[in-house]
Amino acid sequence: MNAFTAVLEGLPLTVGLTLAAFAIGISGAVPLALGLSSPVVPLQLACRLFVDLVRGVPIIVWLFLLKFGIQIGTFKFNPVGAAIVGLGVVSVAYLAEIYRGGLQAVPRGQLEAAHALGLPRGSTFFRVVVPQAFRIVSPSIATYLVGLLKDSSIASTIIVAEMVFQSQSFARQHPTVEGILPYVIVGVVYIALSLPVAYLSRWLDARMRKVVHV
Amino acid sequence: MTLSPPADSKLVPRLGIKLDNISKRYGDHVVLDDVSLHVEPGTVTALIGPSGAGKSTFLRCINLLERPDAGTIRVAGHTIEPGKAVNGRDLAALRSTVGMVFQSFNLFPHMTALKNVSFPQQRVLGRSKEEADARSMQLLERVGLKEKAGQHPGRCSGGQQQRIAIARALALDPSIMLFDEPTSALDPEVGLEVLSVMRELAADGMTMVVVTHEMQFARDVSDTLVVMADCKIIEQGDPKAIMSDPAEARTRRFLRAVLER
Repeated sequence: MNAFTAVLEGLPLTVGLTLAAFAIGISGAVPLALGLSSPVVPLQLACRLFVDLVRGVPIIVWLFLLKFGIQIGTFKFNPVGAAIVGLGVVSVAYLAEIYRGGLQAVPRGQLEAAHALGLPRGSTFFRVVVPQAFRIVSPSIATYLVGLLKDSSIASTIIVAEMVFQSQSFARQHPTVEGILPYVIVGVVYIALSLPVAYLSRWLDARMRKVVHV
Repeated sequence: MTLSPPADSKLVPRLGIKLDNISKRYGDHVVLDDVSLHVEPGTVTALIGPSGAGKSTFLRCINLLERPDAGTIRVAGHTIEPGKAVNGRDLAALRSTVGMVFQSFNLFPHMTALKNVSFPQQRVLGRSKEEADARSMQLLERVGLKEKAGQHPGRCSGGQQQRIAIARALALDPSIMLFDEPTSALDPEVGLEVLSVMRELAADGMTMVVVTHEMQFARDVSDTLVVMADCKIIEQGDPKAIMSDPAEARTRRFLRAVLER
């Protein structure tokens, strides 16, 4: 087995892990962002505490806690499950903060106009606020996705056989100069995966700007 | 064809505004101090005065964008007392009878001009898309912007945006229109387009309250001129009479400052 095929063997897990955690993040962050912007103080504080707690601890620590801490229960012998949950929960916290910023960045006048027209709450939120907030946050979400892709490599520390894990085991089996090869290759693969996301995001952003002309 | 809906002029009795003893403060800072104003249906009231006088806050009390701390608001048949909770349905009903135009237009930037005017009709009045679009096109034509229907606000000039905003407010068939410095963000030439739409609206008999610095407009179009300073109404009456011979020294000072520019 050469270095390239070794790295590629980890590709499905890297992509799968990233997408699964991202899916948990973008959906789970919605209620959390609403909680963060809630006028109900105890709810807002509870959500704030959760976000700060999750973001305050390095991902690698969360993964170790999940993998070894709950080894008796759900994630026993299931490092992939632990990694998805860990990265997913961290994504929920980061994306909620991004969403909250976006909701707050919608100009006050937009809400006032909606109120003055007597628009129902649902229409005001989903048809006036959310589309504008989405435009504001979509570049940040893309940036987060690229970051998450690279952070998924941390799962290698809890024996998830993604690309970095495969690179390491190849390197261990080839303790010569060849051992450096998989790391060069894995770096190139990460770049190859990130670029489309970055370009797609820039294209989307430019398109939305062109239509709306702001 | 008129700007106000046909039903407004004949079948439905037109309703005015009665604000009594309105007070509002933010913490220790008094914004409105026991202000009362009655507006007869079908008349135009211009609110003028130095900035910080409370004109905009007072205007925004009419459709409850600001909740006063004290006083009674009677608008288009709805009565609101301070302290009492207003339920959402009553608030929506009141707001749909009162149209508002803002200094900064506040059009929805992600919707076309047509959608800006149609969307509230669908959501607030339950009109079908076809019905709403037909009414929107009628109003856009009336404000001279039929050809802008498919454009987003970002592609329209300030004056055009403000006229679209007027069409959007009119589309809900309000019996009262509030204008909060509608031309202050526009250069004078562009402001004229907006003022001419407002003149037509006044001529059609719309009840209007206009916060403005446009003295010419206030003199020519308004039936009542209201001068506010220091959180109070200091003078009100016939606009020409006040402008030529103000009773209050404060009014005189303000008018001299405005007219000298």
